[in-house]
Amino acid sequence: MQVLVGKRAFLTALFVFLFVIPWIANEYHTFVANLILLYVILSLGLNLLIGFAGQLALANAAMYGIGAYGTGLLMKHFGLPFWISAPGGVAIAVISGTLLALPALRLSGIYLALATLAFAQFTFWLMTHWTPVTFGAGGFIPPPIDFSPLPITQETGIYYLSWGAALVLYVFAKHAMESPIGRAFVAIRDGEVAAQALGIDLLKYKSLAFALSGFYAGVAGALYSGMLGFVGPESFDLLQMVLHKAAVVLGGMGSVIGSLIGGVLLTVLVELTKEFKFSIEVAFGGLLIVFVLFQPNGVIVFVRRLLPGWNERLHYVPPGKETEEDFGAVPETDPEAPAEPDDPAEVPATQPRGGGPV
Amino acid sequence: MLEVRHLKVWYGVTEVLRDVSFEVPEGRIVALLGGNGSGKTTIINTLSGLLRPRAGDIVFDGADVAGRPSDHMVKAGIVQVPQGREVFASMTVNENLELGAATRRDRAGIRDDVDRMYELFPHIAERRGQRAGSLSGGEQQQVAIGRALMARPKLLLMDEPSVGLSPIIVDMVIETVRALHARGLTILIVEQNVGVAAAVAEDAFVLKDGAIAFKGDAPGLIDNPEVLSSYLGR
Repeated sequence: MQVLVGKRAFLTALFVFLFVIPWIANEYHTFVANLILLYVILSLGLNLLIGFAGQLALANAAMYGIGAYGTGLLMKHFGLPFWISAPGGVAIAVISGTLLALPALRLSGIYLALATLAFAQFTFWLMTHWTPVTFGAGGFIPPPIDFSPLPITQETGIYYLSWGAALVLYVFAKHAMESPIGRAFVAIRDGEVAAQALGIDLLKYKSLAFALSGFYAGVAGALYSGMLGFVGPESFDLLQMVLHKAAVVLGGMGSVIGSLIGGVLLTVLVELTKEFKFSIEVAFGGLLIVFVLFQPNGVIVFVRRLLPGWNERLHYVPPGKETEEDFGAVPETDPEAPAEPDDPAEVPATQPRGGGPV
Repeated sequence: MLEVRHLKVWYGVTEVLRDVSFEVPEGRIVALLGGNGSGKTTIINTLSGLLRPRAGDIVFDGADVAGRPSDHMVKAGIVQVPQGREVFASMTVNENLELGAATRRDRAGIRDDVDRMYELFPHIAERRGQRAGSLSGGEQQQVAIGRALMARPKLLLMDEPSVGLSPIIVDMVIETVRALHARGLTILIVEQNVGVAAAVAEDAFVLKDGAIAFKGDAPGLIDNPEVLSSYLGR
């Protein structure tokens, strides 16, 4: 069956399909496809941080917002072209993201989540209340983007920029996570102390994980400001963070291809919820809880079960689930343990054996 | 090879190691004994560079390495097998071993050393493609020891290698320690279990309330009721 839908064939088909969408689809569907590309980028970046490096940070929507605001405001206040403002906005997102690694050196788990959430709320407050710079709660309209000499509209230009960015960032994430960087991330996730004791530099790899996720979110934000032609704080609130997290969990924590699937699924589901006028907050809060409780590895698990060729080398195993069917049952104590002492008398008879009290 | 002099370590406002001095001569197995909370793991983590001492010297191979970060300690040749094994559960046995060489850059040498670990631990060789989290406790201990050896340590620190393992696996750990010693490795083993320490170590230090309370030869400890009762609570 894996012959039918190989990973590479699926990816090629998906990206070819997304490439031709502006020619065959209407304006609304093209807009949704562009959102899909952005959520793929956001989901990939967040997964590197929480799925691979195991850093439970809740500031991804803020990074996304910093990318969008940075890009839009540099254009608006300084009259800089998009081609300079966008890298500027991304750079600001990367710097803010990297600074978040500092609390992560001391905090983990729920405490890190709270610290990063506080940062996200502070960023949101700045967007809403620092009116002279951010134009406040009403948001602002960045100047149009000039794609000349290419004979294309801003919408088409941003669409293909997003397409290219999503493709490049997917390939980069895949290779980075298969490299020693990915292993160091997973080592930190699986056992921070053990990783550090082996000489893995926590400062270096945590900063890298935060910088990468800041970069991904910043790129998505820069593209978002160009795609919408409007930047306002309500796009980067707590709900947005829930959506990013939902995309990662839905697709599969610690799975690069899972993030691709998660980004696509999430965007489609968001549009469907809007279609049926259902509360997005309830739908995705609920979806997140259901997946965390019942399938924390995301839909990629079902895909792997059907198509073994989709296995990734470092996929996520939640604590306590190590003996799941994914790797086959192994007896807890092995009767064939090697290297038994040849002569039991070598060990003093009075020796308290095993882990009993001494 | 290792000389620790007047080591003081604090956790925030709490003094954990008051004044610890001991030495580990090259090629020996030295046991560090003590009850719960006596500071054994603190010593291991300070030697590994995970904790910074407040005062004192850690002289290793003639250089004072006190306060250096963990990657420096690993490169210098001090590597620990952590308490509770701490294998990387979602990675395969092979990936765990390769991560032990995180500070090394010689790819060919790393590949050879992985093969040597499978010769040393033939049992985990069969499981090289399995996720380490799915192995039994004894197998995980072998992975943890192999992973530490991948850094090519001169001094191996073992933090309670017997804890939580069945007697037959404890015997396996003892055999492994002896085999490593026979190859010339210097080992500092921290134990609550006097039997394990007496079975493998040559010298012993007993830690109580953050200081060395007793030093002597390890095999003799088991027959020393005074030490057992006053320092180890037996």
